[in-house]
Amino acid sequence: MEALASLTVAVVVACGVYLVLRARTFPVAMGLALLSYAVNLFLFFTGRLVSGAPPLLGNSPSASADPLPQALVLTAIVIGFGMTAFVVILALRARGELGNDHVDGKGEQP
Amino acid sequence: MNHWPIVPLLLPLTGGMINLLLTGRHPRAQRAVSLVCTAGLLVASLYLLGLVYSGDFFVYRLGDWAAPFGIVLVLDRLSALLLFTTSVLALLTLLYALAGDDRRGHNFHIFFPLQLLGINGAFLTGDLFNLFVFFEILLIASYCLALHGGGPARIRAGLHYVVLNLTGSALFLLAIGTLYGLTGTLNMADLAIRVAASAPEQAPLFRASALLLLVVFGLKAALLPLHFWLPGLYSSAVASVAALFAITTKVGLYAILRIFTLMFNDQGPVSEAASTVLPALGLMTVVAGGFGVLGAQRLRLLIAYLVVISVGTLLAGMGQLNVKGIGAALYYLPHTTWVTGGLFLLADLIAHQRGPHDDGFTRGPPPAQPARLGLLFFLGAVAAAGLPPLSGFIGKVLLLRSVALTEAVWLWGVVLLAGLTALIALTRAGSHIFWRTEGEAVAGTAAGMTRLAPTALLLVLSVVLTVFAAPVSRFTEAAALQLLTPERYIAAVLARGERP
Amino acid sequence: MYLPFIILLPLFGALLPFLAMNLSGRKASALVAAAVTATALLAAFPPLLSVFDGAAMEMYWPWLPQVGFDLALRMDGLSSLFVLLILGIGLLVILYAHYYLSEHDSAGRFYCILLVFMGAMLGVVLSDHLLLLLVFWELTSLSSFLLIGFRHQTAEARRGAGMALALTGAGGLALLAGFLLLGDIAGTYRISALLAAGNLVRGHALYVPVLLLILLGAFTKSAQFPFHFWLPQAMAAPTPVSAYLHSATMVKAGVFLLARLFPVLAGTDLWFFTVGGTGLVTLLFGAYMAFFMHDLKGLLAYSTISHLGLIVLLLGIDTPLAVVAGIFHIINHATFKASLFMAAGIIDHETGTRDMRRINGLWRYMPHTGVLAMVASAAMAGVPLLNGFLSKEMFFAETLHLKALGPLSGLLPAAATLAGVFAVAYSARFIHDVFFNGKPVNLPKFPPHEPPRFMRLPVVILVGQCLVVGVFPSLTVAPFLALAAGAVVGGPLPEYSLAIWHGFNLPFAMSLIALTGGIAVYSRRHILFAFHQRMLPKVDAHVLFKGSIEKLTQAARSLTLLGENGSLQRSVALLLVAALLAVGLPLFAAKVPLTGPLPTSSIDALTLAGALMMMAAALLTVFWHRRRFTALIALSVVGLMVALTFVRFSAPDLALTQLAVEVVTILLFLLALFFLPQASPSESMPLRRSRDLLLALGFGGCTGLLTWGLLTRPYQSISAYFLANSVSKGGGANVVNVILVDFRGFDTLGEITVLALAAVGIYSLLDGLCLEPDANAGGQRRWADERHPLILAQITRFFLPLALLVSLHFFLRGHNAPGGGFIAGLITAVALILQYMANGIAWTRQQWRLRYHPLIAWGVLIAAVTGAGSWWFDRPFLTSAFGHFSLPVVGEIELATAMLFDLGVYLAVVGVVMLILATLGDLSGRCAEAQRRCP
Repeated sequence: MEALASLTVAVVVACGVYLVLRARTFPVAMGLALLSYAVNLFLFFTGRLVSGAPPLLGNSPSASADPLPQALVLTAIVIGFGMTAFVVILALRARGELGNDHVDGKGEQP
Repeated sequence: MNHWPIVPLLLPLTGGMINLLLTGRHPRAQRAVSLVCTAGLLVASLYLLGLVYSGDFFVYRLGDWAAPFGIVLVLDRLSALLLFTTSVLALLTLLYALAGDDRRGHNFHIFFPLQLLGINGAFLTGDLFNLFVFFEILLIASYCLALHGGGPARIRAGLHYVVLNLTGSALFLLAIGTLYGLTGTLNMADLAIRVAASAPEQAPLFRASALLLLVVFGLKAALLPLHFWLPGLYSSAVASVAALFAITTKVGLYAILRIFTLMFNDQGPVSEAASTVLPALGLMTVVAGGFGVLGAQRLRLLIAYLVVISVGTLLAGMGQLNVKGIGAALYYLPHTTWVTGGLFLLADLIAHQRGPHDDGFTRGPPPAQPARLGLLFFLGAVAAAGLPPLSGFIGKVLLLRSVALTEAVWLWGVVLLAGLTALIALTRAGSHIFWRTEGEAVAGTAAGMTRLAPTALLLVLSVVLTVFAAPVSRFTEAAALQLLTPERYIAAVLARGERP
Repeated sequence: MYLPFIILLPLFGALLPFLAMNLSGRKASALVAAAVTATALLAAFPPLLSVFDGAAMEMYWPWLPQVGFDLALRMDGLSSLFVLLILGIGLLVILYAHYYLSEHDSAGRFYCILLVFMGAMLGVVLSDHLLLLLVFWELTSLSSFLLIGFRHQTAEARRGAGMALALTGAGGLALLAGFLLLGDIAGTYRISALLAAGNLVRGHALYVPVLLLILLGAFTKSAQFPFHFWLPQAMAAPTPVSAYLHSATMVKAGVFLLARLFPVLAGTDLWFFTVGGTGLVTLLFGAYMAFFMHDLKGLLAYSTISHLGLIVLLLGIDTPLAVVAGIFHIINHATFKASLFMAAGIIDHETGTRDMRRINGLWRYMPHTGVLAMVASAAMAGVPLLNGFLSKEMFFAETLHLKALGPLSGLLPAAATLAGVFAVAYSARFIHDVFFNGKPVNLPKFPPHEPPRFMRLPVVILVGQCLVVGVFPSLTVAPFLALAAGAVVGGPLPEYSLAIWHGFNLPFAMSLIALTGGIAVYSRRHILFAFHQRMLPKVDAHVLFKGSIEKLTQAARSLTLLGENGSLQRSVALLLVAALLAVGLPLFAAKVPLTGPLPTSSIDALTLAGALMMMAAALLTVFWHRRRFTALIALSVVGLMVALTFVRFSAPDLALTQLAVEVVTILLFLLALFFLPQASPSESMPLRRSRDLLLALGFGGCTGLLTWGLLTRPYQSISAYFLANSVSKGGGANVVNVILVDFRGFDTLGEITVLALAAVGIYSLLDGLCLEPDANAGGQRRWADERHPLILAQITRFFLPLALLVSLHFFLRGHNAPGGGFIAGLITAVALILQYMANGIAWTRQQWRLRYHPLIAWGVLIAAVTGAGSWWFDRPFLTSAFGHFSLPVVGEIELATAMLFDLGVYLAVVGVVMLILATLGDLSGRCAEAQRRCP
């Protein structure tokens, strides 16, 4: 299971990185979204993989999953949302100001 | 109990939110609010400076949860010094902005206080994840401010800045996750203990996280080769924003200094990496900045590269991780922050008075106020190039004295040559702008006191730093000493103060 | 208490001429400047007397102990001599300048800078502390920069000033390094203390670098070969400036430094050969070049270089007598060179040119000036009965006594004589070309007249000195000389006589040879000129300098652009490479296994399927990234799978949040895509693609390894505390939520602030933005247009209250079961968004006029105020309290301040999401508005 988790994180990160390196704003934005998914997963996994023991009252504290990473991830998700939204809108604005959606504002490249 | 440590955070937060309430209705009131809370910040930071002068730590346990379980704010000499540096810069740039910059876009008076919230929070927090949160506040606010005023140049530079930093934030989370996954804690003091006590087989992972953090903070601080976003952003931003940004790079440096003196201090598994990597990185950054300064064809760009040089110089000092080096850097920090800030404002005045020639090194009309601007430019140039008798020179001397030539020929050579480079470049700039003129001054561009005074004050602060060089540098060395004895910090933070 | 006054008077008095100028004109300005100088001169007398009594006056204040930077002043023989020169000649220059400056030169500015320079110069000679000396040293460079560039309308002035500053500035930096080293070695920066530490310094391993660095500073300042070339360029300065800077002050600073540190540094072969050698070369080179200058001031400039070389050479010879001769020549050169510059200025002033090929035969027009010039240049040539002769003869004598060169010792006197010959030649040229040699050749101003009497007065005084000193040396200059030389040698002076006549001896013979030879050379000048024209390549210093600066700038620019080509992709790639190294290096360099001791758990089919699906979706997002709409769907699948992962590994809160956020995010992407091209062109080269692929795989792999390393390691978390105390101290059973609103509530506060900022930022980004919907944006429909499917509208309107109820439920139970402010807020927002989609902006707007900005603000403020509430109970910010209350009907319920905090979160989240999506959805409407506002 641990291996699978690691592999998943690795793949999603790789995909995100590749997209972030594209030349157009929209793929870059998607790449950033992927990256934040992956990072959230990673952060979540730092609480190790615990099945069927949500950190709610009733579960014995010993068995229950580590609540702290979950709290951190929740914060990260929300912040990530704000940032993604911002960069998407910035992409719109950039297209408006620069006339195209190239990250450097260059027109169509050969 | 003493609630002062949180004032530098609540003041701008409430200020910003009140301005958000006032959006679109009462522009005057918004200005007043910003002014009040920024002035309040200055007062508060002065008081805090007084608190820590004698060397005590002030630990503020949010929610009354004892560290390491809750989030704590930690006030020591370093954070107080940086808070003060920030609030002085902030007040003067705000005054300048009130002369019209704030009207060049929307919601300036929401972003400005919250920018300060982010910066101050980063300086104060003692919790790694909370540091991340404040970095995000700082960043999103700086995105908004950088785009303030719009226009293609700003949008392009802003887009680059945003994408880079979003990637950086992802890396930051990776580093935090790694550290938590290894130690199970987020409080920096607690981390320091657990890192120092960690088993050898953990070492590589710790190194990875430490270096990752260095990358993240290096991006904020614009260290080589992560500085490419800076020149474009700073040279295109609205003057008062660019001036305020003179401090944001220092936040990255602060974080580097903090983690490498606390969490990854010389007991830790990454000590040898730090003491070798940091100074080299700093000097390389100085070189890159030097080339940029020499090659710049516009005043604003030149100043932006001066920022790069100063960042490198600071890291070269801090990176030695000894009292003299850090002390010198901490003396140099307010100097360079204020002076570059002032220069950005001055560049704006000059550009405005040269009409279509803007701030380019072309043969244009003389400024409408050649005497005043010339004098200010001369002052700023002398300070920035590190010529006697101003604080730049003293900072340089302190830095060179912190390490014997025989041990650091590179440091001496690079720092001195960087000074010469800056001197030549600034001479060129001044000669182009004030001497090699033709035609008549552009009518009606003369700046009023509302703009001249803040600019002049920021530059004159260099003189003040010179006059009080002795007490200031004594304080900064004390701060350095405090940093290099993390035991006291750790003890203060982890002292049991749990709620009953 | 006098010493600081001597320096501070001119430094701060510098403002007075400026003010006087604005108040009552040029005359007042000059008078004030003169007054300031005179006062400084008066202040200099008491210490001077005490020096004559053999007691050097000292001042000392500790200032910057950290670096041993103290304010120490000291006036001994040497400095007193220089103080007299600086102030005396300064006074004359001020008087002269008043007549020289034209109406449209700003006299106020001139005197202001001149006084600053004077003060700096006085500082240099009076400092008793290396660093303090350096401060004033650089101050002279800066102020001379302004003086040389005084007439900055001309390119020459700008270039000359720039060159002077660049060179002397560079020298200053070398000097700084040298001084710091010297201070380290000797353990003190006090010069008076240093002078005693000579042996220690000379014996030290670092003596060589120290000496070379300091010499670099001194030589650049004193225009020694090969750093001489800034001085002729500096002739672009107004003549009074030249008369001051290049006779008594600026260039003499370097010589002064050599003399000052003579007891510390001199006395080694290195000193002898570097200092002596440089002096000799400069002496010859200057003398030779001077002869060929057609420009009056050019001639004087090179002769200055030559004379400085002479003094440096004398100091290099480093016998006590040589030092005496050197000091003596400093005095003499100052007097005759100042007067000559002034004379040249007068001629320039009267004829309008300085070209000696045009100004001839002025004797008929200005005989008085002629006489003065002749006497002065005779002194420069070393004609008997004038001061120049005396020091020069001593110089000749010294060259003869020198045996250090062994068999080659004969060369030095020969060279000295040769230099003498040229000195005579160019002096002769100065006189004969200008005052005789036929008639003037079309002068700009004709006929020239004698200048006003007071403009000539300073020249008269100086020339008078040349004569008096020349005839009665022992009565006039001897005591000063003895004092100064004594201070340099730092011991009893050897026997020497300043008599005019020592009988027929070798030195006298050399003088005679020089005189006759000089005349001969001058009379045969045409041949030499031809030779000079043909043989020697014309090297134009400023062209060289300018060129090299230009090259440097170009190189720097291209190098900078090489790195920073404004490409985001490169910056991001660099960032990721850095990150890759940061993670990769430690992991692969590690000697310990990456895998930890923990046993791994087994994989179940469902999880496997989910994981595979997530990876597949991520890969498809990449694969389809050019067909944006399709890619977006794949992306949303990834988000969904993330949510499921959270469910799978017992994080219900996360799952809920992720789902809600996912919906909103994808919605946002869709709306944005509506205004963006539907496809990305394929533009990255295969090379770039493979680079990116490599980077992606590398970094992805590293994070994977990192995850693996963590998951297989045990750890001790602080979370046990949260699990244990969540109910008892946090009053909530849902630990995650209690952490969010209580244990780490501060994070949450910051987080909603981020959201608020993002929303407001987006709002202002979209303001006035007008975008044409992309032509082939198939499938999607703008919200604003009015055709809405009725059923959908009805359903959503009915659905809204339900949704609100659900969100309320989630909000209330949040503290104890999955839910909370975030989730509730997001659900509410989604419900409201549905209204927009179904019923259109217009309808929704008029239904409930909600303004989102205040909503956000109130949300954050409520949270903050709740936190501050704990101050009442003298608890830190955000301290929570909770209690159980029994209400009628409802029964036992729990109320916690944390819920109030969570309410703030709820409101902020709703406001943020609505602001973002509503604004974006209404983009076109806003655009229309904007155009109405500013057509």
